[in-house]
Amino acid sequence: MTKMLMKEFRLAMHPTNLIFLTLSAMLIIPNYPYYVTFFYTTLGLFFLCLNGRENHDLEYSITLPVRKQEIVKGRIGFAVLIELAQLLLAIPFAILRNRLSPVGNEVGMDANIAFFGFSLLMLGAFNLQFFTAYYKNPDKVGKAYVISSTFVFLFIVVAEALTHIAPFFHDQLDTPDPQFLQAKLIVLAIGSVSFIILTLVSYLISAKRFTALDL
Amino acid sequence: MEVLSIKGLTKHYEKFTLNNVSFTVQQGEIMGFIGRNGAGKTTTLKALLNFVHPDSGEIFFFGKPFSQNEYDIKQRIGFVSGGVDYYTRKKLRSITKITSAFYTNWDETAYHKYMEMFSLDDTKTPAQLSAGMKVKYNLALALSHHAELLILDEPTSGLDPVSRDDLLDVFIALAKEGTSILFSTHITSDLDKCADRITYIRNGSILASEELATFLGKYRSLVFSEDQLTSSMREKLIGLKPAKHGYSAIATIKDAESFGLENLPADLDTIMVHLEKE
Repeated sequence: MTKMLMKEFRLAMHPTNLIFLTLSAMLIIPNYPYYVTFFYTTLGLFFLCLNGRENHDLEYSITLPVRKQEIVKGRIGFAVLIELAQLLLAIPFAILRNRLSPVGNEVGMDANIAFFGFSLLMLGAFNLQFFTAYYKNPDKVGKAYVISSTFVFLFIVVAEALTHIAPFFHDQLDTPDPQFLQAKLIVLAIGSVSFIILTLVSYLISAKRFTALDL
Repeated sequence: MEVLSIKGLTKHYEKFTLNNVSFTVQQGEIMGFIGRNGAGKTTTLKALLNFVHPDSGEIFFFGKPFSQNEYDIKQRIGFVSGGVDYYTRKKLRSITKITSAFYTNWDETAYHKYMEMFSLDDTKTPAQLSAGMKVKYNLALALSHHAELLILDEPTSGLDPVSRDDLLDVFIALAKEGTSILFSTHITSDLDKCADRITYIRNGSILASEELATFLGKYRSLVFSEDQLTSSMREKLIGLKPAKHGYSAIATIKDAESFGLENLPADLDTIMVHLEKE
């Protein structure tokens, strides 16, 4: 696993995987659909796999002394590290934004604890959709991303709309921290657990599909 | 000692079947795997390492089944499919650094020896290498982890005659040191130069797997005019086809001698061309 991760960082990584991490700073924008930050994370992962296809990454990887599922583990492990890095880097900008401007985000969800919970849920669901579709047919990486990014887009639309139309979201979750801390922490916990479970299921399905694939 | 044993390898596709492929590779021998384009060479080699999944058949490396010993076996073999065509904008040095980390047997001294022997500069990228150098770099990687068996898929395709000859010299030297080599090619003259045995695949089925000299000794080459061609000859000739002045064909030694015509030893190229006409 460590070696595969090293391969991901040293050979496979696309520049946007690092460049897009700087977009965590978008949480400092006073009014913005903050989930878009994590949409860019998913876009970087699409570029990673697209770049891999053009560089014959899988053809290289399968000749190494590793089993096919370890190739999948390395890739999804790398994705998780990038996603968590994006999230962790966003935290200080969220704190800074709320200090600079105590007025809530007019566009949608505030950059608060619940927002990070929902973002984790969104990223976990993306991992499940994107990687399972990608490892079904790695040549059709675009198709895998169309499916998963459509989901991400719809998730953002629904999540932001709920802050305007659903009283629980509007009155409790879309509020500055530390108001309604308990409810927000529950959302964060659910988001974190969902992220772990969805990503794990994604790995299991992806590994099974990739192992069965004729290359 | 058998380093590779394939028994009854079968894989069905919609329009092609790899049918009951069986052959062995012994330690220190160069086995040429020949057949025309689309005969099933690459599919067979890919099936060996489970890149494609055979419907049936058994594959043993060093006496061990591949499926249960994938990690150990991959440590002991080198698979080279043409030249390095991955990460073509990365420096060879970077690719080597990552690749070497996966092999418990990696020998840095051997790596530098082969890089020097092949005149490879590891500050270059694959994109900056010629077709021959790309193959040589892949070979250097395989040899630096002391691969006991090299599986090479058309390593000489696209190389100029001098580069091909250089590469064949390397194969011969490696075989003398005990490395086994299985390499597929449709350039049969390569095998005339270096192969100990050949396995000939046609339309997914193995036509022959034996000593090169034995295989060559089975056939004679004939060139004759239309007047010399009789109906009884037609029945016995293999791959009868028009030639510049008359016809050409091959025949078994016994049949060739019965015709009373001049016949010559057949090389692999001639045998393959005529067998494929059948």
